[in-house]
Amino acid sequence: MSIDWAKLPPPQPAPDLDSQGFWDSIGHGELRLRRCPSCALWHHPPLEHCRRCATPTEFEPVTSTGTVYTFIVQRQPAVVGYSALVPYTVAIVELDDQPGLRLTGRIVDIDADEVHIGMRVDSRIELLPGGDFHIPVFSPTLPREATP
Amino acid sequence: MDLSGAAIVGIGRTAYRRQSGRTGISLAAEAVRVALDDAGLAPADVDGMTCFSTGDPATPHRVSHAIGLDEIGWTVNTYAGGNQVALVIANAAAAIITGQADVVVVYRVLDAGVRYGKVTDAVEVGGVEQFSAPHGYLVPPQWFAMWARRHQHVYGSTCEDLGAIAINSRAHAVANEHAIARDPIDLDDYLAGRWIVEPFRVYDLAYEVDGAVALVLTSAEQAKDLAHRAVYPIGAAEGTGAGGMPDLWPDQTSMYSRIVAPRLWERTGLSAADIDVACMYDCFTYTVMATFEDFGFCEKGEVGDYFRAGRATYGGDVVVNPHGGLLSEGYLHGLNHHYEAVLQLRGGAGVRQVDDAELALVTAGAGPYGGAIVYGTERPC
Repeated sequence: MSIDWAKLPPPQPAPDLDSQGFWDSIGHGELRLRRCPSCALWHHPPLEHCRRCATPTEFEPVTSTGTVYTFIVQRQPAVVGYSALVPYTVAIVELDDQPGLRLTGRIVDIDADEVHIGMRVDSRIELLPGGDFHIPVFSPTLPREATP
Repeated sequence: MDLSGAAIVGIGRTAYRRQSGRTGISLAAEAVRVALDDAGLAPADVDGMTCFSTGDPATPHRVSHAIGLDEIGWTVNTYAGGNQVALVIANAAAAIITGQADVVVVYRVLDAGVRYGKVTDAVEVGGVEQFSAPHGYLVPPQWFAMWARRHQHVYGSTCEDLGAIAINSRAHAVANEHAIARDPIDLDDYLAGRWIVEPFRVYDLAYEVDGAVALVLTSAEQAKDLAHRAVYPIGAAEGTGAGGMPDLWPDQTSMYSRIVAPRLWERTGLSAADIDVACMYDCFTYTVMATFEDFGFCEKGEVGDYFRAGRATYGGDVVVNPHGGLLSEGYLHGLNHHYEAVLQLRGGAGVRQVDDAELALVTAGAGPYGGAIVYGTERPC
């Protein structure tokens, strides 16, 4: 293949009518997910109506902290725009707001060998190269008991 | 449910190559012709055709035309990966049993335009993956490495356990002239394999190839008059959870098989102990680990010991992937597992024949979605 895919931008999201509010709010520096105003269930990926009680959902700020459910360390280039970053770590993070409410994102500010399941993380928002979108990334937090 | 009113009467395939230099339509037409010839049938006998694909151009319409048909009746092109192989075959059987078609061909083709392990072009990604792809996380090896890590955390399984699965598959492929990877490996080789995405090394991933596989089905009645011993699909089951979204599956130490296995065993009245040949879908070694446990061949966390003890090979409890599987024979998206099951149940597998093979389990899929079929040499009473 003659294309130098290492120099192409990373995958860009294609927002849809249900997700537009997620990308709009994170672009303004706030992580918001859809939540049911009736039964309080969070939904991610977003749904227009609550999957439990069918009430129309609304975007609400979510806490930025969570726990690593599992993670990978990408050692070989596999995804366009990311070949220069290998090795990089991606985790599925369970947010503190609701059991099973998961966000996927890179783990930063820590050596890959030190990442572990159960690790506490906090999210921050970064610009996604190649466009105007922003994405969350996760970094380790101090253990809660050590937090002043 | 009794699918055994239909039978598999013909099997065909092309060579499996890293680069075939041929189009999908050419490969598919070859495999279909070989399968019909194997059955003692002609293209003109075919009135149904089905495949699964992710939007490939070699549709049933095009392939039926390419083998010389001026028209075709029953066609279904299922948009799916390996998760719906069992469903596609069960649907073909159902079409025959319900009189919608007399002879149905099932095929899958992969050419150089179709590779799933990397994404190298600039892309905009919608759907659920709009939330994951921008993180450099977009291809199946990444999704299932996540699952394998979780299993290691919960059950203490190890990379050496995954290696035992890879070593077993490769040992079987050594005797299979059709396999793409035939050099035997031991644990040192496995552990020296380069990391792709931890905890997966190169030997944990399916070997992507160009090629095509085809199966011919007709009614059990017609099957009696044809060239080979008929092989009957005696039960099938499907299941999908978490909306088919791998990252959302609640417990990644089990797969779709947690749903499908009880469903299949209940429908067939069988259990893992009855199975002679298990063609376990092995896009990754971990897929075998999780599904093998879920189908009840051993307890959670015991797969490594099971394979190391020789229980998954000739002379053991059940022969797992005697052809070498997707890991070593080649990634034909799981339809090659069905080819192998039919070959084994016919008694036609040559040097790798499993003695007295009467029942074969073939699984299809990984993670939140999949299905399975049990094939037998006899129709259930």
